Amino acid sequence: MRKILIASVLILGLVGFVFASGSSESSGSSAKAPLTLMQNKPEIGAALTAYGAEWTKTSGIPITIKSIGGTSNGLGQQLKADYAAGDMPDIFVIQGPQDYKQWESVLQDMSNQKWVAETSVPFKENGKVYGFPVSIEGWGLAYNADLLAKAGVDPKTLDNYAAYKAAFEKINSMKAQLGINAVVSMAASSQMSWVVTDHDMNALLSNGLPYDDLSVVKALLAGKVDASRMQQYANWVELMFKYANQTILTTGDYNAQVNAFATQKTVFLHQGNWVDPNMKQAGVTFKMAFAPYGSLNATTDGIFVSAPSWYVVNKDSKNVAGAEKFLNDMVFTKAGQDFIVKKADMIPAFKNIDLQPSGQLSQSVQAWMKAGKIYAWNQYQFTLNFRQQILGPIYNQFATGQINEAKFIQLMTSAFENQKS
Amino acid sequence: MFALFFRRARDARSLLKGARPAGRRRVLKQDKSGKLVFWVFLTPVLFAFVMVMIIPFFLGVFYSFTDWSSSAGSGAGLKFVGLGNFTQSFQDPAFLFSFIITFVYTFINVLVLNITALILSLIATSRLRLRNLYRAGFFVPNLIGGLILGYIWQFIFNNAIPALGGFLANPENLVLRHPGTSILALVAVGTWQYAGYIMMIYVAAIEGVPQELYEAATIDGAKSFERFRYITVPMIAQAFTITLFLTLVNSFKQFDVNVSLTAGGPSTIFMGKPIYATELLALHIYNTAFTGDHLAMGQARAVVFFIVLVVISTIQVRASKKREIEA
Repeated sequence: MRKILIASVLILGLVGFVFASGSSESSGSSAKAPLTLMQNKPEIGAALTAYGAEWTKTSGIPITIKSIGGTSNGLGQQLKADYAAGDMPDIFVIQGPQDYKQWESVLQDMSNQKWVAETSVPFKENGKVYGFPVSIEGWGLAYNADLLAKAGVDPKTLDNYAAYKAAFEKINSMKAQLGINAVVSMAASSQMSWVVTDHDMNALLSNGLPYDDLSVVKALLAGKVDASRMQQYANWVELMFKYANQTILTTGDYNAQVNAFATQKTVFLHQGNWVDPNMKQAGVTFKMAFAPYGSLNATTDGIFVSAPSWYVVNKDSKNVAGAEKFLNDMVFTKAGQDFIVKKADMIPAFKNIDLQPSGQLSQSVQAWMKAGKIYAWNQYQFTLNFRQQILGPIYNQFATGQINEAKFIQLMTSAFENQKS
Repeated sequence: MFALFFRRARDARSLLKGARPAGRRRVLKQDKSGKLVFWVFLTPVLFAFVMVMIIPFFLGVFYSFTDWSSSAGSGAGLKFVGLGNFTQSFQDPAFLFSFIITFVYTFINVLVLNITALILSLIATSRLRLRNLYRAGFFVPNLIGGLILGYIWQFIFNNAIPALGGFLANPENLVLRHPGTSILALVAVGTWQYAGYIMMIYVAAIEGVPQELYEAATIDGAKSFERFRYITVPMIAQAFTITLFLTLVNSFKQFDVNVSLTAGGPSTIFMGKPIYATELLALHIYNTAFTGDHLAMGQARAVVFFIVLVVISTIQVRASKKREIEA
């Protein structure tokens, strides 16, 4: 009998050790309950963790920062796993309307928060504010000012398709003189499909339209494709692919694409201001800025600027007030403002912050924003599956030359017409 | 403490009375305490196995008949959809292509892997001077995780090989750009990863062959190839069962090399729909579930994957065992 007792204590102990890693969430007092923030920008992860530690000291509420990124939808998968485990973070990130639909029943309504009045891009749905803009980001064709001047092309004139075509042909003929191996650094492999399906696709969705105009998007969601707009878009994609570095286009990854521009092997780069830290790391000294995104036949003098993602608060969190305080402090305290602009090098989405980020491309985006010449990001009106698994292969086929422009238009049109989800 | 003493005293008394009854009781007691120890050590592991493998498996089969998506969207309840997920999967060109390409990859990989491992094992058991170095060296790639291997080889295929110049420097001739050569690249990396491990199994089997057979054959005038064919191969038939099974199952389940080397790879058109050409089954299920946000559909495909794998490996093991007995 005694042996059985010892044995069962042993068994329970061993089993307990096996499963001892569970989190110790006791009910606790809600005002000081610890917070967890999960976000998807690894490039600001270190800065955010440091700011979180500082905020813990000043506010007395412990906050843990978790960063997941680099892969497509790494955050979304982790959130699903956490939701199934009943362990959702208190603050996390959504990227647009599709993400909102996934999580709408756990999002806290923040319409009454102080920071709402200071920003023009909060995430609103049904008249209520749910999302705190992480930053402002812009993307377009970044150009190497020194090389462009050497080639004799004025970036201000590049505001329509014909101008780009002429400029690309001219630069391509001067490759040896400029020391470059291709005109533009563009990527369309399966792991970089987001460059074409998330960014470049906005040339179809919102280029040339007023910022809040969703008419093209709504038509596409209903399956109606404007043939002439699609034709112009296909011409633009063909131009990009034709003058791109073919190795990077078909098989390159993010670092390959960015480094080709940083080492002055291409004149243009199809990316956004988030490459500023990469440029700093590569020790880049040449001047760069964004050229107008002239993808249509008509003149379109602007680049694509928006809040790429929003912090949202979990309304079932044990410390909703603490989470909301964290977000407010980021906007209204010196430490928070310093974190957004100086440490994380992001463009602030709030009027009351007037610090300037240090990266050249970020300053270029701010200049475009001040001039009011911006177009919206609308790719997140479409699901990730549609963009990555259905449109992605079509772009890849076109990039590797397995289909021609006519077939590209046909496949894209039928993809939009037959979309389920 | 008291009870133990009491029992000892009782045994001692019964020993004095007559050996057999006490002996039987003692044997039973030893048997019982042996069993107790057995269960004390087995239970934690069994518990973990049931919790982590058995229960999720049955839960998964249950979920594959619903529209589960683990999201907090409004209107997200659990609806029973019967065989809907399965029928939809078999009508999806991407899933069918993924099936076909996984079979093709498995077939090529099993062939190449086993032949390579056999050759390596012959080198490692021959009378070459550095054979111990070869044994260790061939095994090292297996210690590097599949993910890192994929990235290393991606760099080699995309940057190192074109740097050799000439025909290889043309971007049109990149290995990872065409669907056909991408599959061969996957086979190459898969072989590089596992050949050492399979080689170890063959080495163990070859070293178990008695030397007298070779000596007798040499005296009779058999050449080295004939010795290999008529002595070595039949004697290591058991190893073939194991290695065929291992390579078959591992190739079918290939995921980390696939993700890091090609991530789905170049695209192709199948049944009129453009899809990624090197999305093996595991990666396809992962993409369906997480990128496509169709967790229940991904689960249904995983159940199909499991059934196919069980059927194929059972057939393979049965067939190999039969040949073993005959040999």
